[in-house]
Amino acid sequence: MSQIAANHPAPVETALPDQVWERRLTKIAADPRMTEDNIHARGVLGKFGLPLLFVGIAGLLLTVIGGFSMNVRHALAAYEVGAFTALSMSLGCLFFLLVFHSLNAGWVITCRRVFEHGAALLPFCWLALVPIVVIEVVNGGVLLEWVGGHGDDYLLKKKAPYLNTGFFIVRFLIYGAVWSFLGWRFISLSRRMDETGDRTLGRKARYTAGWGILLFALTTAFAAFDFLMSLDFRFFSTMWGVYFFASSALSGVSVVVLTLAALRLRGKLTGLVTEEHFHDLGKLVFAFTVFWAYIAFSQYFLIWYSNIPEETAWFVYRKSHGWHWLFVTLCVAHFLIPFLIVGWRAVKRNPVLLGTMALFLIVMTVLDMVWVIRPMVYVQTQPVLEAGLQEPGLSGIWLDAAGALGVLGIWGWLMIRRVESGPLLPTKDPMLHESMAHKNYV
Amino acid sequence: MSALSNITAAAADYFPMLVRRPPPRFISESGKRVYGIVAEFSETTKVYHAAEMVRDAGYKKWDVHSPFPVHGMEHAMGVKPTKLPLLAVGAAVGGLSFAAFLQWITSAYLYPMVVQGKPYGAWEPFMPIMFELSVLFTAFACLFGMLALNGLPRFHHPLFGHERFYRISNDRFMIAIEAEDPNFDPDQIRALFEKAGGTDITIIEDED
Repeated sequence: MSQIAANHPAPVETALPDQVWERRLTKIAADPRMTEDNIHARGVLGKFGLPLLFVGIAGLLLTVIGGFSMNVRHALAAYEVGAFTALSMSLGCLFFLLVFHSLNAGWVITCRRVFEHGAALLPFCWLALVPIVVIEVVNGGVLLEWVGGHGDDYLLKKKAPYLNTGFFIVRFLIYGAVWSFLGWRFISLSRRMDETGDRTLGRKARYTAGWGILLFALTTAFAAFDFLMSLDFRFFSTMWGVYFFASSALSGVSVVVLTLAALRLRGKLTGLVTEEHFHDLGKLVFAFTVFWAYIAFSQYFLIWYSNIPEETAWFVYRKSHGWHWLFVTLCVAHFLIPFLIVGWRAVKRNPVLLGTMALFLIVMTVLDMVWVIRPMVYVQTQPVLEAGLQEPGLSGIWLDAAGALGVLGIWGWLMIRRVESGPLLPTKDPMLHESMAHKNYV
Repeated sequence: MSALSNITAAAADYFPMLVRRPPPRFISESGKRVYGIVAEFSETTKVYHAAEMVRDAGYKKWDVHSPFPVHGMEHAMGVKPTKLPLLAVGAAVGGLSFAAFLQWITSAYLYPMVVQGKPYGAWEPFMPIMFELSVLFTAFACLFGMLALNGLPRFHHPLFGHERFYRISNDRFMIAIEAEDPNFDPDQIRALFEKAGGTDITIIEDED
């Protein structure tokens, strides 16, 4: 027993002798790639930052205007598309951080700070969901019909122990606490390591990742159930949490690839984030493209086969009420095109091409959220029939664009501000040398 | 480049009654077919630079033998990327379309039958089979294509007759240039190996 304890140091102890560590630090400090200019990006991305902020504010204003001039259901759905894309990008970054820390991944250290910045935006993403919850609760259910508990639907009564306003708010607060803590924890440990050079902090991050990955899985799945699956409270799918997670992981790694490609094009991180790193990140992009398609198809396939009315209604409504084009678009553009392009080794090793594909896949994630959320606005339920709402078609597309771009613009502005705020990589990580020499031997 | 001759050599090994080996290009003093010339190297760096020299001298049919994988050796040897991915893509597309065709022709054309009220020839139930068959065909193409391109498995290799060859599983590296190489010239090769620091340069005979 004592032997086991001796072989497994507690989270605050280190396996690396002091002399080895000092030698590594000296070597890294003397490395020609670690110049101040190469690892800081102050003002470099500013060109994109302010336009994004402007797009964000204009989009949100237009969404509010649309909420009054058209209808609040449509405006809220448009806003949710943006908010959930932003949330999925941040959650994706958090997921990869949890995996990297728990697996003690060495290759990714030079790219890890961007993941940390993405995950550190989780408090913002949670705040972006607050207006949705407030509007739903104050109005007694706008898109989420079950909030406020009106109606004497049999299924709703059966599901009331879970789908009720009080429990919903409690769950929402728990998600906020978990996401904010985990997002803040990794960036603060990593930054503290930069300042103090305390290499035991990596073990603390690994310790956090161990239990954090469980909480991440539960909160992601249940948030997807609460906000997205329960848009139609009759619908249920055990795949739903995984479906949202697949989008998260894909858009998370995509936004990191996009940021790193932009930084490389501006002449930063030269020799630190090389084509070898892009190759591995590209493998992740490819893997989660396939994973998303696998999950999306499995969910659709089982619902199609089993033919249970509560489940099929979700697809029947979309495939026969003018949304079939989106179904085909997602099949082709969210899976087939990236599958054929990113599968190529040369594309994965080229920052410009991979960055373009990453941007394309973020757009596809937005379309995926549109597919999930937007058709529910004019679905012919009792409140929609009473209000006499009609699908506006293309004339309402400005509101959809405004809502999605509003949140994403502000998310992008905050991301750029964060990236510019400090070193672009953890400068004193014990495994930094491993990442700087990273090479794919295939 | 050597895929076809590898396949021919393997076929001659398995079916000597069907495929005749090409006549020897060089014959040793004892009258046997010459397989090639080997040289021994004692260090990784030596064999790495020797491989670069052999590559630059323009030899095509030769190989490096090592007890462990040497990173970057494919660059030092100038090995071209394998054609196997093309074979794999072909097999994947073939498996995909074969599965689609087989299912469509049976369940929508030859024997249309209503199952669970689903339409004839719906694409959804075809997908798993299409996926599985493309994976299966790709796996077969990769495995057997790799074996065919390598000329494996073989019953025997002429290098096994060379006593010192067994040290390449322990502490020695070897470079072997085959007599099939169009530039094969024993004197030049001996000079090249000596310049590269090779020792125990030997002509290897093949059983005929």
